Amino acid sequence: MRIDPRSHVPIYLQIAEAVRSAIAAGVYRPGESLPSLRALALELHVNPNTVQRAYDALDREGLVYSQRGKGLFVAKEAAAFAQTHAQQVVRGKLDEAIAAAATAGMSAQQIQAVFAAAVEGLTKMEDHRS
Amino acid sequence: MNAETNGQPAIHLSGLSKRFGRTWAVDDLSLEVPRGSTFGLIGPNGAGKTTTIKMLMGVLRPTAGRAEALGLDVLEEPVQLKQRVGYVPESHHIYRWMRVEQVIGFCRAAFESWNDQTCQEMLDLFALDPRKKVKHLSKGMLVKLSLLVAVSHDPELPVLDEPMAGLDPLAREEFLDGVLRTICERGRTVLFSTHTLDDVRRLADTVGILYEGRLLVHRNIEELLAGTKRVRTTLRDGAAPEHLPDGTIWQRVEGREWSVTVSDFSPEKLQALREENAVDHVEVIDLGLEDVFKDFVKGKRAGL
Repeated sequence: MRIDPRSHVPIYLQIAEAVRSAIAAGVYRPGESLPSLRALALELHVNPNTVQRAYDALDREGLVYSQRGKGLFVAKEAAAFAQTHAQQVVRGKLDEAIAAAATAGMSAQQIQAVFAAAVEGLTKMEDHRS
Repeated sequence: MNAETNGQPAIHLSGLSKRFGRTWAVDDLSLEVPRGSTFGLIGPNGAGKTTTIKMLMGVLRPTAGRAEALGLDVLEEPVQLKQRVGYVPESHHIYRWMRVEQVIGFCRAAFESWNDQTCQEMLDLFALDPRKKVKHLSKGMLVKLSLLVAVSHDPELPVLDEPMAGLDPLAREEFLDGVLRTICERGRTVLFSTHTLDDVRRLADTVGILYEGRLLVHRNIEELLAGTKRVRTTLRDGAAPEHLPDGTIWQRVEGREWSVTVSDFSPEKLQALREENAVDHVEVIDLGLEDVFKDFVKGKRAGL
């Protein structure tokens, strides 16, 4: 896991997203424990208060749960989450790209054409492989 | 920490000022740092960071105002203060002829709360050779030794004055590790000054920007970044900016492009900017800490 101190995105959100990705990738599975505040703070080189804030956010989402004195664990619900996470990440990136296109003055039709061309490239690559 | 001091801030500066000749190096500085938080002090060279820290540590007498650390007046109770703070000064005046183990023994005798375990952990972390003479240590090793002796008595308030200046990237990372271990101890308050804004972002909860002896900003970092936005606009032909938005901290006109950085940004401010100025294209840009810092200082220099 890593974070980017130069980004404007709050560090605690970056940490929360890094943990989400790690859970989605199966680095941490349902029922398993997450690194302690201190361990993750030392690994990412960030203030432990910031890690706490990230863990609180994940707790509110229901992705993790805490057990008094034992630390933080990945929730059962995380299995279903892992499957939709990739879609959510891609959706977020597409939203950004669409916003940039709109700012540049492109119409919905033009954006669709660019998107279709990009997907076509992938289809060709897959055909080529098979 | 006892109940009596619980509600007090760890650091309380009020009207702190220092004059050198005709120049006010620190000018009517007031600041509170709550317990358990980490405060990053940044500012261009000569802004007064070291002078402020020296007054806070009681090694420099202010011209006016007062500094309190952990509820103690730093000039009236220097002995007690020294036991409870850990100071890494800008220049490391450790006895050069001593061996590392002698320096440690010397400090160990001076502090009531010296913690051999903390000391050993730091020795291992930094791979410091106890037999080595201080004068034979590299700059990186000297800085690490300075941190080790400043925090091995488990101080409630470590204060680090530009500790990472001049360290190579690897030594920097190892030093950062040491600082983090210090921060990780619960309830501890840390103040550090630096030019490395990445480290401020990583370590600090709150940031203060010092310029010409005055605090331009003192805020939670994420709040500061969330509220400070740059708006880039295209001016209509022949038009010039007419009304600066409230809270403008910096602006620049280059041909048709007008950039303006605003604090406490809101959609209403953006709307007002559009209505009160002859601009066409408007774009809002998110800023990292480095841009925010530069814009505050450049804006102040330009008299905004």
